[in-house]
This record gives sequence, C-alpha cells and structure tokens, in this order.
Amino acid sequence: MSETPNDKLQRRTFLTLTLGWCSALFALGASLAAAGRFLVPNVLYEPNRRFKGLKPEDYPEGPTFLPDLRVFLFREGKKFRAVSAVCTHLGCTVNLAGKGFHCPCHGSVFNPNGAVVSGPAPVPLAWFELTLSRDGHLVIDTAQPVKPDKSLVV
Amino acid sequence: MLKRLWKAFQGTRVGRSIFRVGLPANNLERAQAAISSFLLHMQPAKVNRRVLKFRTTLGLGLISLYLFVILTATGMLLMFYYVPATDYAYQNMKDLEFVVTAGQVLRNMHRWAAHLMVLFVVLHMCRVFYTGAYKRPREFNWVLGVMLFLLTLALSFTGYLLPWDQLAYWAITVGTSIAGYAPVVGQKLKFMFLGGHVVGESALIRFYVLHVILLPLVAVMLIAVHLWRVRKDGGLARPDEPQATQEDLTPAQLPVTKTYGLMELARGTTPAVGINPEDEVFTWPHLVFREILLFMATVAVLLVLAIFWNAPLEQIANPVHPPNPAKAPWYFLGLQELVAYSAFWGGVVVPALLVTALVALPYVDRKRKGVGVWFSGERKVALTMFTICLSVAVVLTVIGTAFRGPNWSFQWPWKPVHVEEHGAP
Repeated sequence: MSETPNDKLQRRTFLTLTLGWCSALFALGASLAAAGRFLVPNVLYEPNRRFKGLKPEDYPEGPTFLPDLRVFLFREGKKFRAVSAVCTHLGCTVNLAGKGFHCPCHGSVFNPNGAVVSGPAPVPLAWFELTLSRDGHLVIDTAQPVKPDKSLVV
Repeated sequence: MLKRLWKAFQGTRVGRSIFRVGLPANNLERAQAAISSFLLHMQPAKVNRRVLKFRTTLGLGLISLYLFVILTATGMLLMFYYVPATDYAYQNMKDLEFVVTAGQVLRNMHRWAAHLMVLFVVLHMCRVFYTGAYKRPREFNWVLGVMLFLLTLALSFTGYLLPWDQLAYWAITVGTSIAGYAPVVGQKLKFMFLGGHVVGESALIRFYVLHVILLPLVAVMLIAVHLWRVRKDGGLARPDEPQATQEDLTPAQLPVTKTYGLMELARGTTPAVGINPEDEVFTWPHLVFREILLFMATVAVLLVLAIFWNAPLEQIANPVHPPNPAKAPWYFLGLQELVAYSAFWGGVVVPALLVTALVALPYVDRKRKGVGVWFSGERKVALTMFTICLSVAVVLTVIGTAFRGPNWSFQWPWKPVHVEEHGAP
C-alpha cells in the first residue's frame, strides 16, 4: 500500500466531510424551518370578516360607525359605501372629524372618501365590498377591498 | 455573636464543605475567597485601584445588571397571579393592585425597574462610548452590549403589552404594523407575531412567551458572555500605560513582588494586570463591598419609587378606539415621533441604520486613542458625532413626550389641547 501525503485530500475524507456537513446543515435547516412553520397557525379562531348588517333603509343618512368591523358606512340617499376606519399607517382606528377622518396615533388626516389629506399614511383608507343578501340586508366583506368610488346603489 | 456562630459553623465538616475559605483573614485567603466562590470568581482576585473609583464607570453597568436581577425576581412573583388571557389579564392587574398583599408594590417595582433599566442601559452605553472603552480588544463586547440594549427594549415592549390595557392593545397594534413595513417579509412577520390577522388571544400568548421565557433566557446568556468578556479582555478599560506588556517581558524582567497565582493574564496589547502590584487591591473586600452597597442603593431607590408612585394602568383594552393621543412609554416616543413622519423610514430604515452604525462603531473607529479617559481630546470627531446622534434622540423623545397632543398635533406643554374622550362618532 502506498502512503498518500497527508496534505492531499483523500477521496474518503472528502466524502465523509461533505456528507457529514451536508447532513448536519440539512438537519439544522429542516429543524429551523419546521419550528418556523410551526409558529404559523393553520386555523384562526377570529371573527368572521363578512358581516350582515341591517336593511339599507334602516341606516340613517350620513356616516354610521360599525364598531365590530371598524368600518364607516356612509349613506347618501340610495348610495352606500363602506370605508375602513383602520388607519393605513399603523392600524389605529380613525375618528370622524368634521367631514373627514383624523388618526389619533400619528396624526394622519383623510377626506370623507378616505383619500390622504396629510400625515404619514401611505395609501388611502380601504373601501370594502358591499352587496345585498337575498333577504335584502347589506353585507360587508372586510376581506374584499374594492376600488374607491365603487358605491352600492340600492 | 454572629461572628462566633459563623466561625463555629465554618469549623464543622458541613460548613467547610460549603464555604471552603470562610471569612478571609489574610491576603492569601482574600484571594482564595474570590477564586473559590462561584459568584465572586467572575472577578479577578485583585483589581486595579481605578476600578474602585466611582467616576470610572459611575456604576451604570452594574446597576443595569441589578435591575435585571430585580426584574427577574419581581417578574417571577407576578407570574403567580397573571394569566395571559384577554379575559383575565386586566382583572389580574386589578387584583394585584387592590387584592393581593404587596401586589401593587411588586408591580410598581417591576414597572419602574423596567423603565430604569432602559435608562441605565443607555447611560451605560454612553459611558462606554465617552470613555472609549469599546476599542480593541473590547470591540465584540460592545456589539454584545448593543444586542443587550435591543433585548432590553424588546423585553420592555413585550412587558407592557401584558396588562391588556389600552396602552398594551394599541402598542401591539402599532408595533406589529411597523413590523409589517419591513421589506419582503413584513406582512408574514406581522402575521407570525400576531398569530392571525387581528390583535387578540393568540397575540397575547405569543408576546407572553417572548417576555417570560425566550427573551430573558437570551438576555441571561448574553449578560453572562458580556461579563465574562469584561474579565477576559483585562478588566475595565484603562489608559494605555507607557510600560511593556506581558508578552514583551522576559521572566527575569517580571517584577519580583508579583504574586503569580493571582494575576490575570490578558492577551494582546492590554496592559497585563498586576504589573504594578501597588496599583492592585483585593476584590474581597474592596470591590465586593462597593458592589453590595450599590445593590442596596438600587433596591432602596426602587422601593421608594414603588411605594410612592404607582405604575400606570390605562383603561381596559378597547379594540375599537385608541386613546387620543395614544402614546407609548417615554423610551419609545422618539421612535413614535419618527414614525409620525413615515412608518417605513422612521420605523424601519432609521432604526436599522442606527443599529448598524452602533454595531459597526468599534470596527470603524479603530484608533486606540483616549481609551479609559472621559471625553478624551484625542477623539473629537467621534465624540461630536455620537453626541449629535444622542441629542437628536433626546430631542425627538422630548418632542414626543411633551409637545404632542391629540391627533399627534403639535402643542406647547403649558397649553395642552383638550378633545372629547376618544372623539367617538
């Protein structure tokens, strides 16, 4: 048997090292990934984001605040629109101030259509899809944002 | 009498098995006391005279450590009454305030110690900067310190969420929304923090686990390494002495008065401890005595605070309306002022840059000048830059604290603007 010099990498050493390191890194990576995935819940016990309200004619003219949804429902005659009350900046609830909205946390100001007037909010307040149920009630889906100016006419 | 009892106990087999040295009577035993005790061996048997001077460190790091210990003790006690559930958390706070014996004082101590810890960690960082103590070979210990500073903030944040009052609820809402602005992973991160889309039970339990287990565990480990490295890097930073370092000396040159068993061997260019034996004093009793005194002073101040001032507790969390103005605790008001300009720039970019700058500092500012000297004239540029950053942080915090009223609008502190509560429609 011929002696290989020590400084030369032998095939066996190379394979052992590669295999060893690869499996060690894989085991570590897989464990971390599994732990990370574990932290993302599969089932949420949260309130339904689709909400059935009153009949359109039961809402007063002007804005109505729906606290469970954090939504302002505006009625202008036969036209309805649902504007989110959640500030697009950092999630505080905006307050109705004059005709627009003020955010108490960082001072964003929105107009009645939810467009940003001033302050740090990066985008306008969301509008949500409004539909009528078969029995004639308003249905608001806060999981379905729509384009601003898309009002429901009943 | 006490001393006699102690001596008698020390003489027994049991006593000797626990305390190997006993109360030291001579220098050998003083050294052995420091070396053989678990707690004391964190320090060398002898320390430089400078270490004992108050102005060297102002005791800031030690006070931070003591506050952490107090927070652990009071926090553990509070855990016996606290249930991390949205239905109970706030009631538990009320129970602690009105029903549980000493509950109020313990809660106050925990909260004030947390506030003080943020303050003292920042002051400690300033001390280390202004004395140039982060320079070689202590660069990495500065980095560990920055991590501990971030951990302190994270512990405070996760802590004040737990009472589930208005502050807690809207802090989680705003805090996780800031996380949502992080590039690429932002929204995923937010979902993971909250354990869902809305702030509720799953968010509370997550922040509870972070606050009582994960973050303290990491903090304990980092603190241990932080202290260990203080010792391994040759003790507290002190000015370079115009003397040979350990490596340059041949055995024949070593001072003959030196006690070899007691010396601290330090690597690199750090002047080896013990080269000037007359500058060294025994840790026991000189340093230990001062440390105990400082601990007692810390506890005393905290007790006074806790007895005379109650920790804040706002109204129970109302998921519909934030208070107006909705303010974070003082140490986050600078950040709140920043995010009031832009959530992305103020909440993500600026803090990330600041942390990066702090971590990079010892590797960028490499000249070994002014080490161990307060406000050394040789470091004018570094001192000026750090002072400017610090002043900006202080000014932002003051603006956020005193100059911001309802809707985060500007107001003069002496002319507060009032709006109707919540301004609810």
